[in-house]
Parts: sequence; structure tokens; C-alpha cells
Amino acid sequence: MQTDKALNQVSLNRRDFFKVSTSAAGGLMIALNLPGCASVPAGSKEDSLRPNAWLEITTDNRVIFTLDRVEMGQGTYTGMCTLLAEELDVNPESIEVVFAPVDEAYKHPEYGLQMTGGSSSMRVMSPLIREAGAVGRAMLVAAAAQVWEVSASDVQTRDGKCLDGQGRSMAYGELAELAGHQKMPDSVPLKVAGQFKYIGKYNKRLDAKAKSFGTAEFGIDTQLPGMVYAVISRPPMVGGVVKSFDASDAAAMPGVIKVVQVPRGVAVIAEQYWQARQAQLKLKTVFEAGDIGKPSDDDVFSLYAEALEKGGSKEREEGDVALAITQATKTLTAEYHAPFLSHSPMEPMNCTAWVRDGRCDVYASTQVPDIARAVAKRESGLGMSDIQVHSTFIGGGFGRRLTQEFVAEAVSIAVHIDRPVKLIWSREEDTRHGVFRPAALHRLTAALDENNQVSAWKHEIACPRILDHYAKDAAGAIVPGWAPQFMVKVGAKLAALTTADSSPTEGAVELPYVIPNIEVSHAQADAGIPVSFWRSVGHSHTAFAVESFIDELALQSGGDEVAFRLKLLADRPRDVGVLKAAAAKIDWSKPPAKGVFRGVAVHESFMTHAAQIVELSVKNNQIQVHKVVCAVDCGQVVNPDMVEAQVESAVIFGLSAALYGQISFQDGEVQQSNFHDYRVMRMNETPEIEVVIVPSQESSSGIGEPGVPPIAPAVANAVFRATGKRIRKLPIVLS
Amino acid sequence: MKIKINGTEREVNVSPETPLLWVIREELKMTGTKFGCGMGLCGACTVHQNGVAIRSCITPVSSVVGMEITTIEGIGDEQNPHTLQQAWQDLNVPQCGYCQSGQLMSASALLAQNPNPSDSDIVNAMSGNICRCGTYPRIKKAIKVAAENLQASVVEFSPTSQVTVQNPVQSSQAPAQGSYGPTQGPDAPAQGPDALAQR
Repeated sequence: MQTDKALNQVSLNRRDFFKVSTSAAGGLMIALNLPGCASVPAGSKEDSLRPNAWLEITTDNRVIFTLDRVEMGQGTYTGMCTLLAEELDVNPESIEVVFAPVDEAYKHPEYGLQMTGGSSSMRVMSPLIREAGAVGRAMLVAAAAQVWEVSASDVQTRDGKCLDGQGRSMAYGELAELAGHQKMPDSVPLKVAGQFKYIGKYNKRLDAKAKSFGTAEFGIDTQLPGMVYAVISRPPMVGGVVKSFDASDAAAMPGVIKVVQVPRGVAVIAEQYWQARQAQLKLKTVFEAGDIGKPSDDDVFSLYAEALEKGGSKEREEGDVALAITQATKTLTAEYHAPFLSHSPMEPMNCTAWVRDGRCDVYASTQVPDIARAVAKRESGLGMSDIQVHSTFIGGGFGRRLTQEFVAEAVSIAVHIDRPVKLIWSREEDTRHGVFRPAALHRLTAALDENNQVSAWKHEIACPRILDHYAKDAAGAIVPGWAPQFMVKVGAKLAALTTADSSPTEGAVELPYVIPNIEVSHAQADAGIPVSFWRSVGHSHTAFAVESFIDELALQSGGDEVAFRLKLLADRPRDVGVLKAAAAKIDWSKPPAKGVFRGVAVHESFMTHAAQIVELSVKNNQIQVHKVVCAVDCGQVVNPDMVEAQVESAVIFGLSAALYGQISFQDGEVQQSNFHDYRVMRMNETPEIEVVIVPSQESSSGIGEPGVPPIAPAVANAVFRATGKRIRKLPIVLS
Repeated sequence: MKIKINGTEREVNVSPETPLLWVIREELKMTGTKFGCGMGLCGACTVHQNGVAIRSCITPVSSVVGMEITTIEGIGDEQNPHTLQQAWQDLNVPQCGYCQSGQLMSASALLAQNPNPSDSDIVNAMSGNICRCGTYPRIKKAIKVAAENLQASVVEFSPTSQVTVQNPVQSSQAPAQGSYGPTQGPDAPAQGPDALAQR
């Protein structure tokens, strides 16, 4: 739906959307033109020569593409280049990629922020990038036609050259300047499926080279002249504050430059990182609890239980659930618990900030450069246009790098010194002081009628809204930089009030099964623990509850769990398609080997449909997952190997959470610290994973996240088959 | 103090207990080796000490004086990739890429010791390296492909012959020059449709 909107926007308003010109160096420049945004101060000092640049073809034959989504492993770098290459007719490997600075032009058209997340890049950007490539190609063709004095229809293109079919050829670079003076064509047809050279076929990963030689630069690799290092001692209790500190011993340690209090704790700045860490050990700090007190897990879940009793807002209502329950032959009720989770990307949080001479440079692995700029503005007191955010490759995002407190911290330190400062969190700090996937409590009730058919489905969910936590920092980026400070505060409230946060119930509201009476509600319950987006967001816990409970119902009906689902998915052809494909791949009709048990789940998220079937065995309460088959329908595939890789990745990421993942709080303190007590999958635990891509002509949809939600319920359902024990609490621990 | 890294003696001005990782990254400005956990739990900081994979985040720099230290920058470069680095690209192993230097260092230490590892040899050698993107299935495959390439190259390589065989992944490799040395000459043919096509 949103894709269609984006497509129409392009075809109707191309002239408004793209601006074609000659670059300062004489090449062809295609920039993004934003109607209505002219009054907003955009761009930056450094990039003023390439405002809103998107695609540039230089006279020395370079194709430079400004990537305005970030690359964190999900493959957007390769995907975007593939789309551009297809329409521009160049080899994807010949495209030089530069990471976009902060600019209004690079804002995500749906989010209104320069954000990479929501498995949306290909879906949202695909029509625009292809259009830009096609426009570029048409201008080059027009230039060649002018040079050769032939009709444009007589000019062909191949691999970065225009050809006249009579033996003459010119490289795009030679035509770039003339192309910049051509009239933008009124209509440029995009290629159709049969004409594709790269889309659906290209199977390389363009960033694999740099990442195989250790030369890809991540935020933590930033090197600046005279750079110093910082660490922060933060309150051990979540939301705590500094009561007092004594820095005298720490300040006397070798290499220490300064010890300063910052909003989030006490920072030690030293010449070397290790010196900062050693000095931190000598720092004497007294912390006390903040506004939220010292919550423990029990407090959180009591709060959730109370909220469920009070009842929540109804997010979906069909039929009369209450009536169906009173008329039921039988009812079933079950509660499901999901814990807080850490993202734990391999690159710990870090940021380098340099505040001097009225400007601020921020170097960070960030999923939201414009929010990074907004928090840098807040901490430095400088203007938006004085702040430059330099994006890098990202050493794992998973949603963690949508929250920018690490940028705020670095800038809050950097204002105390005129040298560049690199703040690096330890793994322990990353595990304890970050933002978490919200814990959630689900209560499901189903009614069965006299024919043992499901007549009602009631799903109540208690958990916090993520946007309540997210809005404050985000508002600084949504409200333009020239707005006075009070407007930013108003913006925060507006964002929280007016943006519907669907995360608590997403994946539950869209229950795909045909049941006559359905009610899904959200009971707001927030213990104040900072929460954020975690790979697949609300789906990460709603799918566990929904697909576990539907499995319980399948058993009640005495039927096969695949057949049971297929029957209730009657009007959902894409869900049916993936479920059938997964069942076929694992040979569902034949039983698994002795001692091996299967579990099934199917779930749609980010407009992509995924079905998973796992095979596992249980010995001495130890679960060993042997095999996972995952069938996906993500619409038109740009790079099939990248799709496979993302699904493998999502399955393993989801398994880590299903089997081990838990952040627990005791007296306000996170009880986990590093990879020994916040375990993640290792190679020896990784099952065989088979991916089936169901062919589809639908628009491209997300692939970074949709493989995550089904894995926990699929494993839990298989564990039930193996042990007779219904798993209603994550992580899945048998005892 | 002086440490020998990638064959070169380097003077470093740090306290002796400083972990080797920070000396490599900050003093020597070689950022291919990564910080992941600081406890030897994740393997992102893996380097070789006299050919053996170690975790540089928990190794005091003073303990490697007189030893040969090799980092990701020392096993190959774009012109002369290690067989594993080529396989990593052919199989599209990296995703975010942050852990991959450490993965490659563990894998290259394995192949140096055991040029023909079984699946369980690979799992044993690699399970100390965490990848949050979950590239394990590809890492396993790439190590096998690289091992096959090493085996094939020992048999097929002849310095005078032009390498023009049908399966570039299997045979475009020059032989290993020493345990970790470059394995592909600058003139070797570009990797063709690559290993993916065969999967």
C-alpha cells in the first residue's frame, strides 16, 4: 500500500522530485529536490558543493552514489547499488558509494527522519533509486544522440557506455557534462522483469571485500589528530543519578587529562583508552536511584499483571468476543512472558566527537544521523548547521543504534576539551546501560464451539510504548533546527501523542487466522526502564504468543498443526504459500527421525511472510536444534543471496533470544554483563538452515527482520512435542 | 618496548600491562583488529602469536615481546588475498563485518595447523568467535572452500602455466607461500560467477 503511494509519487512528480544539473566539476548531477522544504536550512558546510546529491557522474567517468540509508549488515549498500546499476546500465561494482551527511533530502519518506530501520529500505527506496538511474541514463542517451546527431532511440547503453550500433561508443563520463544540460524527460520507462540484468540475479555482496581485509571503517575505527579517549562511570541502577564523586585518585593516574561530570555519569578523559579504564577504577562515585526507583523483574511483571486486570485500549475488535466466550463449549486461557533483551551488536557503543571553534564533528555508527545531530546540538549548544555527522559502516544495529544516547554522551564530554574524544563503552556497559527490547506479558483466551471450532480469540498485551521513550531525542530532529527550545519540548509531546505507536500489538492485531470473533488490546504499563526497537520490534514477542497459542488450539482440535493453520489461513494466499513451501521442504508428511521433533510457526512482518519449521531433540533438558527450514515471500527479490543471508541471520539471532536471551533486573540493576551470562549462539550450536524463497511479483518488502519472529514459537512448539511441556515463558529453559 | 607485528619491529610507548589490542588499534593505528568483549569471550580481537590464535584483548603487550604477532592486515591484502579472504568474498560471508577479522584470524590459524579440517575441526576452532549477524553457516562453508583451494593449488599449480580452468574458485589460487602468506597473484583471473553458483 505504502509502496504504491511511493511509486505514484515518483511517476506524478518526477520533475519536483529530482533536480538534474551540472556538478561543480562539470559532471552530471542528479539531486533530490524537496518541494516545500526550501526554507529549512539544509546541507552542511563541507558538502555545500553537492547539496542533496544523490547520483553524480563525473567527467573522469566515476559513478558516485550517495547512500542515504546505512549499511549495518543488512545489505542495503549492495541492494541500492544493484537497483541503480540496473536502470543506469553500469556494473554495480563500478559504483562508488559515499555515506550521506545529514540533510532534509535524505529523510526516510515515511518516518520523517533520516533513519535506517523497519526493514524498509528496499521497499521504500527502490522506486526512487530506479527512477533516478533511469533518468540519468536517459540524459546520457540524449547527450549521445546530440553528439552523434541521431535520434535518442538509436542510442543503446551497455556497462557505462552509450553505443550507436554503428561502432561508435562514448563512456558516460565523456557525456556527463553535456548530459547535465539536457532537458529532463517527461517519462522514462523502468525496465520490466524480463529485461533485468541484475535485479533478482546479482549475487555478489559489494562490501564483502573491505570486510574481508579489515579495511571497512566502523565508527569505533575513527582516527583523528590529537584524539583522546573517554569512558563514563554510570549509575548501576537503571535511571540512577550521580550523588557525589571524588576524582582525586583517578585524576592522578597516568595519562589522565580530565575527570568531568556529564549528564549520564562521570567521565574520565585520558590519552589512551586503557589509561582511562585504569583511572576509572580509582574513581570514587556515589549514585542514587532516580525517578523510577529500583525496579526488579517481579515489579515489572506485577505492574503488567495489574494493567491487564484494568484492561487496555482495544486495537482490534471483530464480532462479539464476550458473547462467544459465554456460549463456548470450552475455553482456553494462557499467559506468555517475554523478557527484556539486549541487542548486543558486536561493535560496542562508541562515538567520537570534536567540539572546537564553534563547530562540532560527530563520527558514529548510527542508524539515525539526524537524531545524532539533534542530540549533539542539545549537548553542545551549537546550531544545527554547525554540526556535521559522519556516518560509517555499522558493526551491527538490530535497532540498538536508533537510540543516540552514546552520541549525546560523547558530545557532553567533548565540550570539556578542544581535542577529539572517542568514547568507548565496554561490553559490560553495553549489556547493562543500554536500551532494551521491552518485556511483555500476554494473556490469550480462546473459545471453542460445539464443533470444536475456534469461535473467539482474545489477546491482551501489557508492555510499554517504545515511542514514549524514543520521542524526546527524535523530536529534536523532527522539529527543524531553527525552532526555539520550547518548540522541541512541544515537539516531543506531539510526537508521543500524535504518532500511533503500533509496537505493543503489531503482529497480534494482524492475526491472520479466520476466527469469527476477535479482540486484541494493549494495556499500557511502563516501569520506566529504557526500551527501544529490537530486531522485529513488537513482532519479536507477539509472534511467540500468537503462534504458541494457535499451536495449543491445533492440538485441542486434534489435527495436524500445518493443516490446522492452512484451514484458518484460507484468505491469506501468501501465508499459505510460505507454509506449504516450508512443509514441502522438510517433507512434512513423513515423520522426522526417531527422537527428533518438529515445531511450526508462520508470521507476517514488515510486509513479508515467513514460515518456519524446526527439528530438534531434547536430552537431559538440553535443547539441540538440528534444522530450521524457513520459507519467505518478500515480494520481488533484488539479490537472492542477500535474502538468504538475512534469513539465516534472523534465524540465528532469534534462536539466541529464544534459547538464552534475558536481561533481568534486581533492585534496578541489570544482572547480566558479558557474553558468558548474556549468551548468544555460537557455531557449535547453530543448526542447519535451509531457506526457500517463494517466487513473487509483489513489490519488494522487508527481509532484515521477518525471519526473527517465527523462530521462538517454532522452537517452543517443537519442545512441546518433545517433552509434553508447553513453553509460555522466554527464554526456553527446561528443568 | 618493541613488538614485532606483521614482520616489522615497532616501538610502542605504553605501560606493560596494556592489552595488545589497544596497542595495535591506538598506538599502531591498525584498526582491522576489533574490540568486542574485553574478556576473551567473543574472538573479535583475535590475532596470531607465533602462528597461534590468541585474544589480544586479554593479552598484556609485555607478554608478546620477542614473539611474531600477525593481524588481519598481515595475512593478505586486496592484491594478494589469503585463500580464506577470497573465499569470504566468493561466499558473501560478511554482513555487518565487524567480527570478520577475528573470524578470519581464527580460521587462518586453523588452516595453518590443519589444512584439511573436518566439520568438527572447524566447529571446534571457530566456536570461540561470536558473530551476532549469524554468518556461521557461511564461515563454515568458506573454510571448506578455502581448504579445498589450498589442496587443489598444491597439486595443480605450475609457475609456467596459465591458469585457465573452468572452475575459478577451485583452481585460480596460487600456492600458499608459507603458512599465512598471500595465495593469489595479482594477475590471477577475477573470480567468475563464483562459488555461489555451485551451491
